Amino acid sequence: MRPLLADGALTREWAWAGATGAGVDVAVVDSGIDAGHPMVGGVESAVAMSYDPEEEDGVRRVEGPHEDLFGHGTACAGIIRRVAPECRLHSIRVLGDRLTGKGAVFAAGLEWAIERRFRVVNLSLSTGKEDYFGRFHELADRAYFAGVMLVCAVSNVPSPSYPSQYASVFSVAAHDRQDPFGFDYNPDPPVELGAPGIDVTVAWKGDGTIVSTGNSFAAPHVAGLIARLLSKHPQLTPFQVKTVLHALADNARA
Amino acid sequence: MSEPAGEVLRDLARLLTGMGPALAPEGSEALLQSITEAARELFGAQACSLALLTVDQSELVFTTASGAGASDVVDLRMPAGQGIAGWVVMSEQPISVSDLQNDARFASDVAQSTGYVPRTILAVPVASPRRTLGVIEVLDRDTSRPGAEHDMRLLSLFADQAALAIENARAFADLGRSVLGAVAAAAPGTPLAAALTAAAEEAGEPDGDLLRLSALLGELDRLGPAERRLASSLVEALLSYVRGRGRRPS
Repeated sequence: MRPLLADGALTREWAWAGATGAGVDVAVVDSGIDAGHPMVGGVESAVAMSYDPEEEDGVRRVEGPHEDLFGHGTACAGIIRRVAPECRLHSIRVLGDRLTGKGAVFAAGLEWAIERRFRVVNLSLSTGKEDYFGRFHELADRAYFAGVMLVCAVSNVPSPSYPSQYASVFSVAAHDRQDPFGFDYNPDPPVELGAPGIDVTVAWKGDGTIVSTGNSFAAPHVAGLIARLLSKHPQLTPFQVKTVLHALADNARA
Repeated sequence: MSEPAGEVLRDLARLLTGMGPALAPEGSEALLQSITEAARELFGAQACSLALLTVDQSELVFTTASGAGASDVVDLRMPAGQGIAGWVVMSEQPISVSDLQNDARFASDVAQSTGYVPRTILAVPVASPRRTLGVIEVLDRDTSRPGAEHDMRLLSLFADQAALAIENARAFADLGRSVLGAVAAAAPGTPLAAALTAAAEEAGEPDGDLLRLSALLGELDRLGPAERRLASSLVEALLSYVRGRGRRPS
């Protein structure tokens, strides 16, 4: 039996004071990461996945450096780097030049991260396709039991979206404050956490930045915070990490 | 299911598909136009446009637009694998960007896709529960108006309306498959469902010329009886001419 979280009350001092994310693997499942962008500062590994009907499971995997097709994966990586400067970033590119096969490619990218036991996986994308409900649910459960934290941007769309909808993931929406270490707990799920995502300056294609808004920028803030927490307390399970985040949320503290 | 029955189902699918446009309700395009105009008005925006994925899902085509640059935008195509619109469609996540003109590269990218260089863009996916259809964009909205912080969610509601209109129109454009598929779904796992699904698949793509003719019939149906009689006599005259020509010695 693992020991309790902490001897006394849970504090931010206990959780991540002095922590940098060092030694924690954080995967960004997105449009790729531009590893040379000054706000990213390099990636540990990269794999590009695309739809290929010739492959047995319809997914082609190419390991090695790649570019970010849109800029969004780079934006997420830059946010994570800011919050957890010494974490190990891994780029899993699943968005490509066409939508065909996206569900299969997206699921394969998530599975790649879970199999490698990357502790934190940022998913600032989703699928609303009912066909994929079961596949992603199974992956979310596997991640939970393997101690892999799936941090999902909630889609603002009224219809369901996966995997942000599942109870085991960290589902995040944007709040309107800018403090990169500030976050809220929402007692009214499916959204569980709020983090900065409105008018955030983020890295983008071509070494530049843009000012952008979306839940997809709130998720990497939480992914970075979890990486910091895990670099100091690597033994924590997803359940325990949720407990810590709940105790330390801005709106839960006096 | 016996082969003659399968043949009948395939013929039924072809017939239904041919008739689809004649039966389609009027005004899908007008509805989409009205959605972009309503969104533009509500957000106090310069422009609003809708882009839909092509059949092979590699490109986005702007089908509807209102406001600045609207006439230049309609029919414009862009690769689905780039830009803000592309990312929204791929990720199924809404996004807004607010300082486009500070980034020359980015501004030109957006300008190419919209025919107008905006300062801000709000883009939301258009999707039905079955598939992603495209993206709806609002350019240079008035963010100082009360309630502007809810714009992303509001535009998502417009996107849902657009998705319903598009799916309805498409169901009629491929009525054979839609009807057989719906009947098959009502009897899942049965031999009947299997036969219906097979017949729907074998019915093939709708024929473009036939669909056009069918759409014209639908339009005629909405006109008066005099117009319908005139059209009938014109078609009869054409048919008797064509039949007569067929009998002529070559």
